[in-house]
Amino acid sequence: MRQVVAFGGGGFSQEAGNPLLDDYVLGLTGATSPRVCFLPTASGDADHYIVRFYNAFRDRARPSHISLFRRERGVPDIRSHLLAQDLIYVGGGSLISLLGVWRAHGIDEMLRGAYEAGVILCGLSAGSLCWFAEAVSGYHDEVNRVPALGFVRHSNAVHYRDGERRGAFHRHLVEGMPGGYAAEDGAALRFVGDELVEVVASRPEARAYKLEQRGSRVLETRLATRYLGAKAPAVIPLVRQAAA
Amino acid sequence: MSASRRILALGGHDFDRRAGNDAICDLIVELAESPRPRICLLPTASGDHHDQIARFRRAFGERDCIPQVITLFRLGENPVDLRKELLGQDVIYAGGGSLLNLIAIWRAHGLHEILRECWREGILIVGQSAGAMCWFQGGITSSSGEPTVASGFGLLPGSACVHYLTEPVRRRRFLRAINAGELEPGLGLEDQAGALFEDGELVETITARDEAAVWEVAPGNGNGARESEMYSRRLEDGRQPINDTRSDILELRQTLAARATRRRAQRRRPGRLD
Repeated sequence: MRQVVAFGGGGFSQEAGNPLLDDYVLGLTGATSPRVCFLPTASGDADHYIVRFYNAFRDRARPSHISLFRRERGVPDIRSHLLAQDLIYVGGGSLISLLGVWRAHGIDEMLRGAYEAGVILCGLSAGSLCWFAEAVSGYHDEVNRVPALGFVRHSNAVHYRDGERRGAFHRHLVEGMPGGYAAEDGAALRFVGDELVEVVASRPEARAYKLEQRGSRVLETRLATRYLGAKAPAVIPLVRQAAA
Repeated sequence: MSASRRILALGGHDFDRRAGNDAICDLIVELAESPRPRICLLPTASGDHHDQIARFRRAFGERDCIPQVITLFRLGENPVDLRKELLGQDVIYAGGGSLLNLIAIWRAHGLHEILRECWREGILIVGQSAGAMCWFQGGITSSSGEPTVASGFGLLPGSACVHYLTEPVRRRRFLRAINAGELEPGLGLEDQAGALFEDGELVETITARDEAAVWEVAPGNGNGARESEMYSRRLEDGRQPINDTRSDILELRQTLAARATRRRAQRRRPGRLD
């Protein structure tokens, strides 16, 4: 089964103390001690980010990471390492840098292989946008439309409450970008192949949306969302570490 | 007459107080040929590593210039108009790290085109390690682990190999590549040594450390590539040695070393019974 779980924002990167999204993706693997490999490429392999990943996953999974800036110190065979995982977790940061570096190292092809072999792919921010055919990415001054890996044949936007991104997504759709999905911080879209099968959230109020072009207008549908917490906790403040 | 297009390629340089590094920082400020020059670091090849950025800010913060840093990985937090910012500099310094990543990221952001424009406009381009090799036709990268031949942006003729005598595996790969014609003849650049190009021509080689040199490398006649040491201008550290700072660092190092030794002694050795 080919699966992608795309976070609008959240998980250990942005929701310290709220493990709901991370627990959810670990649960999807069905493994008692899942092998999770972190790709921090979009952050430039920031040390503090890698440390936080290990702190978050050390006790409930078998974590590893791949650094493409200090490759001489990492796993010798990246392809077989990725294929041996239950979950590949991509961190946030710069989508354009992420795509450039992955292509230079051939990581895009290796990830395609892992995806087709059934390794679950997930990530937040840039780590969500990368899986789609087109990304609405707010990186340079303006919000841009960026062609990404296209494992999921839709478009995607993250941190969706942000007004600028919403406007840009609508504008790009009218200009002919394929329809797609947007997720707010704390909401995650789970795809099997190209099909959205579930929307979950780590916060009761977090939502995701489906966006379709209808002539010169955009139809935006708020999607039914399953809150992952047993009972509604107080709203957890969002610390934004990296915007896509 | 338009300004000359200059690139200073360094085999290895850091923004710290190790021998020769200060003299090279001084040279950069001097070559800028401008009162209080604007000097911008592009730490892309290191993944915008905060240590490199902090050391750069400290080293150039002490000099009569305006240091600035552009981090492509954090443009989301600090959006800048890349073209406008870079064209407003007197010096652009490309830091070291992964050559493969540097080239991929700059291409993805279109930065290589902007930098070519800056170079044409007469902005001095300085680079060390990956940030030096990227301007040549090609070089030897260790970005994928084993040293391999990589293409650069090709603003400078020939090839280059950095950390020349300190990384023998890289050097041997360079010699083999040149002898086999995989790379054009080029320069072996040692740490704290460099080559200054004007309008695509080598005009001067410099060294800031006694043992460091620049080597000219060309295919040999049947028995391996030929290396000849070039005569380089020796840079002197024009500043008075900063005794306080230097002895402070020495003292700190000794304290840390003593602490580490104590910790090691206290640590229980596995397999040993108390």
